[in-house]
Amino acid sequence: MTDTKIRGDASSHGPHLTSGGWLNNLDRKRAAGPFLPGQGLPAAGPSSTAVHAGTHDDLLTGAVGTPIYQASTFLLGADQYGAIEQGFARDRFIYSRYGNPSQWAVQEKLAALEGAESAIVFSSGMAAITATVLALVDKGAHVVASADLYGGTYNLFNQEFPTFGMSATLVDPQDFAAIEAAIRPETQLMYFEAITNPLLKIIDIPRLADIARRHGLRLVIDGTFAPPIAMRALEQGADVVVHSASKYLNGHSDLIAGVAAGPRKLVDMIWPRLLNYGGSLDPHACFLLERGLKTLAIRMRAHEESAHALAQYLERHPRVTRVFYPLLDSHPDRAVARRLLKNGTGNVTFFVEGGDAAALALVNALRIPKQATSLGGVESLVSLPFNTSQASFTLRQRAAIGIHPGCVRLSVGIEDAADLIADFDQALARIHPAKEAENA
Amino acid sequence: MRNSLPIAALSEFVNEVTVTPEEAIMDYGVVLDWESGTRSRAETKPMRVGPHRVSRSFTWKADEPRQLMGNNHGPNPQELLLSGLGACMMVAFVAGASAEGIQLESLRIDMEATLDLRGFLGIGSNAPVGFPEIRYQIHVTADATPEQLAALHAKAVAHSPNAQTVLSPVALRGEIVSTRSDV
Repeated sequence: MTDTKIRGDASSHGPHLTSGGWLNNLDRKRAAGPFLPGQGLPAAGPSSTAVHAGTHDDLLTGAVGTPIYQASTFLLGADQYGAIEQGFARDRFIYSRYGNPSQWAVQEKLAALEGAESAIVFSSGMAAITATVLALVDKGAHVVASADLYGGTYNLFNQEFPTFGMSATLVDPQDFAAIEAAIRPETQLMYFEAITNPLLKIIDIPRLADIARRHGLRLVIDGTFAPPIAMRALEQGADVVVHSASKYLNGHSDLIAGVAAGPRKLVDMIWPRLLNYGGSLDPHACFLLERGLKTLAIRMRAHEESAHALAQYLERHPRVTRVFYPLLDSHPDRAVARRLLKNGTGNVTFFVEGGDAAALALVNALRIPKQATSLGGVESLVSLPFNTSQASFTLRQRAAIGIHPGCVRLSVGIEDAADLIADFDQALARIHPAKEAENA
Repeated sequence: MRNSLPIAALSEFVNEVTVTPEEAIMDYGVVLDWESGTRSRAETKPMRVGPHRVSRSFTWKADEPRQLMGNNHGPNPQELLLSGLGACMMVAFVAGASAEGIQLESLRIDMEATLDLRGFLGIGSNAPVGFPEIRYQIHVTADATPEQLAALHAKAVAHSPNAQTVLSPVALRGEIVSTRSDV
């Protein structure tokens, strides 16, 4: 008996063959997806979207929520063989490196949150970034990217690109004349981060999109520091948005994952790179990410509430020399933040008196924030650029990009603002006992 | 994938272009630099696929045989013309075959043409300067009838940009940008 069951996106079919006609008779059109069948969600607000989009109750048992499809491979029939032959295997379940219902569920939720036609999850943010960048460049290509890049992405451009015969020019992400001047005939891609690390510059994505459009380039935005509740990079003009989903999107510091989202046309170009480079996300990790995403909207509001209050407290503290938080009026990019950010995040960067030694004493004295790298979790995390993210830089190199001694990188979780403020109060008092005594 | 060509994606492109014609506009360019004698070096310029730039970065050489005062370091311009024509017809043939569900086992186009160099040399005769004809055979093994393949051949030629460029008058709009070298 021939098995013709559709296992995958039932709305997707191959083109009818053009017996006697020509290519213009091909009738398959591009559509959003691939999505699991049924339970489509009407247009909804961000919280409803976070809870419901992409989450599919089990049709067989009625179990509420997406089951974990912990399978590496799928039963094959005539329909799947046809999908492989006609080149739309992405829309069918064949093998979990190509696609799995647990991946599709969380991809649908991420696409809905980003306002994207399609999304792909990866086994890390760097897997998403590498697959996306390499999908959008060709032999001899050149990329214009931010000089403030995350270290992993910097390594892609600095260490891997020359091996591929490609090159990148890194430019101040707020110097639009320099960005435009860096574009060459072989430039194909502009790559920037929505909010930089650690100084939290808010990048004017619509202006970058305008440059990209005028020069026929693609614009990829890393939205890790600005998840969709805070900003939808695609609406600001990005062609593709990528994230380390290990941060705000998952929100619980308990998995490593990445995502790329955008128009179906471009995400379909990224998908073969997922297959070739192999950074697919395990079904159980998909379940964790989908579960984490359900609270994204409410978590982002809590991050903003606690981070904003703590940033205001720090700004008033006599031992804190400078605070960067995009919702503070003192933030250099406050106007851009007002235009682009719908919600604050948990990242606060500040400088303490006494340089890096005082900063180290401070993080050792804190009781609530955990001394660890990463960000976007429900628990506050704190680290120092001088001995972690920018440890390979000299003092002068750090100063050149604005990381002066005493710089503290803080990711405020969803703890109560009053508890965090009390904790910082005692810790700041402990690292400056002499000065506190003088003032007493 | 049949014939290693994603027909679903081709169909999506066809339907995208129907709605958004600018996606069908391809801008190409090559730059030729004289190297020595009859030898030149060709390099692709970045192209545009619709509104977007694509890096190319391919180079090749052209030369004439020693009998024609060259060094035989590369295919000559006529061979490059024939390969450009044949490769284009091959793309059309494979795309058309895939769209009809024809599985190709092998496909070869054997092209020949004869030139009378008296035209190039300016020796008075009735010989045309260019090729008076181009002869070719398409050798194909596929799960299709001879009639299907004959129809496919006709459609491939009718839709091949290079075949149609050869068959139709094409304007050559050139200008010379000159610099007087120091004496």
